[in-house]
Amino acid sequence: MKPLHKILTLLLFLTLALSGYNGFSQVAEKGDLNITINYYIINNQLPHLMVKVTTKVNGKFQNVAGIGVKLFLDKDSTGTFIGNAVTNEKGEAFSYIPPSVKKEWGTSVKHTFLATFGGNSKYSAAKADMTVAKAKILIDVSSDKTVTASVFEMKDTTWTPVKGVDVVLAMKRMDADLLINEKPTFTTDSTGKASGDFKRDSIPGGATGNITLVAKIVDNDQYGNLVIEKTVPWGVKFIPVNTFNKRTLFATRNKAPIWLLFVAYSIAISVWGILIFLVFSVFRIKKLGEEAHTSGN
Amino acid sequence: MENSASIADEKTINDLLPQKFGKWGKIWVGILVAICLVGMFAYYRQLRYGLVVTSMRDYASWGIYISNFVFFVAISLVGSLITAVFRLAGVQWSTPLTRIAEVIAVAAIIFASIIIIVDMGSPERFYFLVLYGRVQSPIIWDVIVISTYFFISILLLYYPLLPDIKILLRFKENTGKRLYKFYGFIGSFWKGTARQKKISEKAINILCITIIPVAFSIHTVTSWLFATTYRPGWDSTNFGAYFIAGAFLVGAGAVVVAMYVFRKADHLEKYITEDHFEKMGRILVLLALLYLYFNVNEFLTPYFKMKESERAYLNGLFTGDFAPVFWFAILVGMILPIIILLFKKGRKPLPVFIVGIMVVVGAWFKRYLIVTPTLLHPFLPMHDVPASYRHYFPSWEEWAITMGSLAGVCLVITVLTRIFPIIPIQETLNEQHETAA
Repeated sequence: MKPLHKILTLLLFLTLALSGYNGFSQVAEKGDLNITINYYIINNQLPHLMVKVTTKVNGKFQNVAGIGVKLFLDKDSTGTFIGNAVTNEKGEAFSYIPPSVKKEWGTSVKHTFLATFGGNSKYSAAKADMTVAKAKILIDVSSDKTVTASVFEMKDTTWTPVKGVDVVLAMKRMDADLLINEKPTFTTDSTGKASGDFKRDSIPGGATGNITLVAKIVDNDQYGNLVIEKTVPWGVKFIPVNTFNKRTLFATRNKAPIWLLFVAYSIAISVWGILIFLVFSVFRIKKLGEEAHTSGN
Repeated sequence: MENSASIADEKTINDLLPQKFGKWGKIWVGILVAICLVGMFAYYRQLRYGLVVTSMRDYASWGIYISNFVFFVAISLVGSLITAVFRLAGVQWSTPLTRIAEVIAVAAIIFASIIIIVDMGSPERFYFLVLYGRVQSPIIWDVIVISTYFFISILLLYYPLLPDIKILLRFKENTGKRLYKFYGFIGSFWKGTARQKKISEKAINILCITIIPVAFSIHTVTSWLFATTYRPGWDSTNFGAYFIAGAFLVGAGAVVVAMYVFRKADHLEKYITEDHFEKMGRILVLLALLYLYFNVNEFLTPYFKMKESERAYLNGLFTGDFAPVFWFAILVGMILPIIILLFKKGRKPLPVFIVGIMVVVGAWFKRYLIVTPTLLHPFLPMHDVPASYRHYFPSWEEWAITMGSLAGVCLVITVLTRIFPIIPIQETLNEQHETAA
């Protein structure tokens, strides 16, 4: 009877504990994720993808970090797997198009990228797709400081000029790109070209006077983001004058200010002069002692 | 009458002559030598394998060595306080304490110099510092003031010793042959003539005047090693005065500890009286209050502003990883000593001795807190640094060298007190004669 009593008590306790766990823990409603895919080609090199993951909290979108997203080319299968990417604190994850999908990449002039998230304890599964056409952008300049961007789309096997694409013509600066003139965008004509006059004189261009021009297609529904750069000597040569060594004591040895040398050496000489005098005094005391000893004898 | 005075003089001289080491003295010296040897072995390893044997990395590039250096520099300041400031202020009661203070100052400044060379890694770098040093650098200022202070401390120890050497030379039978020869070499010429006394007194006065600005410089310049560097916690105009206040406190703490130990070990109760502890207790409480005031200044205003760049550093001290050490240093090093010493019973020899130990130990940890937490919180943290860069705990080599240097200071003090009278004999006799007259 006694062991049975113990077993029943244990079972009751276990039941209560398990039911209590479920009773107290409320099944949290999972959040929905919003996934967007951005496609980039910079200087007509290897394309890459940027996946942005956000969620809506109190009516506002917030970036979600630590979300693992699987990326595929055209279809969700092993052969077209691009890679896994995990979002950073800005909710962004990056991946290049790997050589493993080269064959699939060459089969068509248009591709669809798929991004899938399998879900976790906090968020439900989510996915997104984006279709882009293969395109490229070129940049050229003339001696009268005209900047021309040319946009081409791959049709069948040839690069064909594209009309009606908005292109930003700018130059690279430290924090953001500066437009070459007041016009925000230039639209390509039937030859696929868009031109603008460079009207930014007196732009500092480093020690060589070089600036980097940039032509870019931004968030285009058909082509994604295409960027091309070109360095031109249109800036003003900027020779920085560094006054650091003149205004700080942390200069090289031979640039010590005279007042400092004077003060430092004066103090050192004065103090050590006194100390030498005091050592000399010891010898005077010694001499007096020897004299007293001699006269005492 | 004259005969009884002479008997009293002989009694005083016998009381104050340096004593040979007894059993416990030998054990004490043996322990210190053993710790020093372990420290030397650790230093050999550091020379052999480089500074990589330490836990110092790119963040905490100054560790326990520099903390120890600042501690030694601080403790050495006591020489100028007890000897110079008291002498110039005409404080008579400090006579039995002057040599203790000077011996501590000399020992501490020797090891401050040694530990800074240890911190350099390869010792030949010191030679390059002398050859290629820049006068703009606070490090060079430190080298200059430390060497100057060392030399002044030696002279300030030596000049008042001359009359005592004459007395020591009378007791050839008590002194070993080599020690007797040494006494003869350094002071046999002292005859106590009027002219000799005049020169000696003048020299001591000059030294007392000179040592005060040099002592202030040594600690101010040491504080500038930090304050001229733009880092959280160091970017302070308060640092010079803050360091000097702390140095006087730890120096006075060290003196009361030494007073108690020598009083017990050499049976000097007649010369180092309870009144000395009472007075030193009052000085200690004043210095502790002063240092506490500087600490409030040093931490309250940054805490009030809580600049983003200093947030991690300050939180680390007040509530983070360093909080136990920080509050230990504040409580044990300042607040508890103040509370104990404010009461008359707290200024008896034993409580003052305990408070002295608390102040010295608290001060050592305070120096550690000045150096390390700041370095672990740079304004511009490096990207993806190894985990070992973000934390600092000294390696066994660093501990061994540090303990070796602390033992070295105690050893130098012990050896000096074995060679020279720890209480100035001649000055004590003069005071006794003056009192009798």
